[in-house]
Amino acid sequence: MSDFFRLDNLGMQFGGLTAVKDFSIAIDPGELVGLIGPNGAGKTTVFNMITGFLTPTFGKVLWQGRDITGWPPHTITAQGIARTFQNIRLFADMTVLENVMVSFHHTLRSRFWKAMLGLPSHKREERRIETEARDFLEELHLGHLADEKAGSLPYGQQRRLEIARALAARPKLLLLDEPAAGMNPQETMELARLVREIRDRHRLTIFLIEHDMKFVMGLCERIKVLDYGITIAEGTPAEIQRHPDVIKAYLGEPKHA
Amino acid sequence: METSTRNTLCTIVLLAVLAVVLYIFEKHGTEYQIRILNNMAIFITLAVSYNLVNGFCGILHLGPNAFITIGAYTSALLTMSPAEKQLSFIIEPLIWPLSVIQVPFAVSLIAAGVTATIFAFLISFPVFRVRGDYLAIVTLGFGEVIRVLCNAMQSLTNGPLGLKGLTPYTTLWWSWGVAVFTVMVITKLVNSSYGRAMKAIREDETAAKAMGVDPFRHLLLAFLISAFFSGVAGGLLAHLITTISPTLFTFFLTFNLLIIIVVGGLGSTSGAVIAAALFAWGGEALRVVESPMNLGFVTLPGIPGMRMVLFSIILMVVILFARRGIMGRSELSWNRVFAALRLQTKA
Repeated sequence: MSDFFRLDNLGMQFGGLTAVKDFSIAIDPGELVGLIGPNGAGKTTVFNMITGFLTPTFGKVLWQGRDITGWPPHTITAQGIARTFQNIRLFADMTVLENVMVSFHHTLRSRFWKAMLGLPSHKREERRIETEARDFLEELHLGHLADEKAGSLPYGQQRRLEIARALAARPKLLLLDEPAAGMNPQETMELARLVREIRDRHRLTIFLIEHDMKFVMGLCERIKVLDYGITIAEGTPAEIQRHPDVIKAYLGEPKHA
Repeated sequence: METSTRNTLCTIVLLAVLAVVLYIFEKHGTEYQIRILNNMAIFITLAVSYNLVNGFCGILHLGPNAFITIGAYTSALLTMSPAEKQLSFIIEPLIWPLSVIQVPFAVSLIAAGVTATIFAFLISFPVFRVRGDYLAIVTLGFGEVIRVLCNAMQSLTNGPLGLKGLTPYTTLWWSWGVAVFTVMVITKLVNSSYGRAMKAIREDETAAKAMGVDPFRHLLLAFLISAFFSGVAGGLLAHLITTISPTLFTFFLTFNLLIIIVVGGLGSTSGAVIAAALFAWGGEALRVVESPMNLGFVTLPGIPGMRMVLFSIILMVVILFARRGIMGRSELSWNRVFAALRLQTKA
């Protein structure tokens, strides 16, 4: 099995409620894997367990051969796993550029007192961060909006900014939580192209949650399906589309007359 | 000319103007005017450092009076001569080694800042386990604890009698020097990557964590820096009024600082500076309303506390009509000043 990224029998219980049970997956470098399932199936819970926002009740998160289960979120990001959020969580009152620059903070070498005294070495680092942040904005076609307040952007651009910000944290594994939510078909198509592009350009591995079936089927190489916290199917898009349990989960049992 | 060079030059010119003004007041100003200017500088230091935690990190911290107290007592105990201490501590003698130590004013100010920072560090662990209202209550409690301790620990603070007859070391140069230094370093900090991390925590702590920012470390950093400057300002205050007692540093002081930073604009250093200056000046100017007034046909008796009523009304008006304070979250910068000038000349 791959040592790059693996989840071993991950489980999450909230009191008596089992949100996720026995979730296992191994992802190889460069893969584009989708996680689908009806509302409340536990998809976001899986993401929260990977990124340290929830500590799994059972199981392990293995990242590049290391057990990172229960590590704090900021440490996990520094290790190379970044994410976006289902409900957009930008730093609304900061500019678009600043939003992206925040992601560089964990790579900053100069100490706080160097910043307070405005020493040249710190100023150099600040300039480097700004240039690189602008590159990320250009890449996601947000360059012209650098000085706008993030909260004032239209919805689609806010979604793109979330991706830019996550990319700037320099992840090896990128988790996208419903990146196409609320987008029209045109925007969704562009997003699919963008996701593929950034994967190739940054040599990323991408694990994404999405409701839009066309989007997932067209983009992902492998799909996992969750229902009520249990993995009900796994395979290529073609296999998933034919899988009887998946059809049942999404459309309900066929009625017998 | 490059903008950064221009801005540096402008700052130097502004500081030179400030120095000239201070020099003139020091030579020719009345004692009253000098006192207001000293108050202004100390309140600027206090407000700007308080704003770092409340405005930039978005944390409702209600205990700066604790750090001011600690700073005031530390520096006072260090500048008094052993003989003065023996005279003051009549109920219980001051504990050794404080009873024999006497250091220069500058050293005592640094010690004041460092002691306040140590206390801030000690309470930061319980404080930052909680957020929001709970954090406000914990810090509020800490302020009260320090006040009560000052009353109770007679062999350290001389209890309710306080410390009297301190040498008035705080000159305009000291108070304004500290204020300028504080404003400069805090401005540099909030405009750096550290400042962005703090603002990110204020905007959305969950997202900040997901982007690799450790909230505890950055809140702690802001809290400690804020405590340091509050402590130094406490030392300056002690040697300005020359008499300190536990009643001087109640929650009332925190309340005033809160008014200043809210009126100035939470998260704006220039707002905090403007509001602090207005507060220090207004506090004196509005003394008129507390003295008896003769309106010709009727004589109004002086009402003590009337100033606070006025301040509260001003606060309400500001909140009603300019919810985000004088400056909001924007800053006065040279770039903005020049941009405004350019518009003026075009028009």
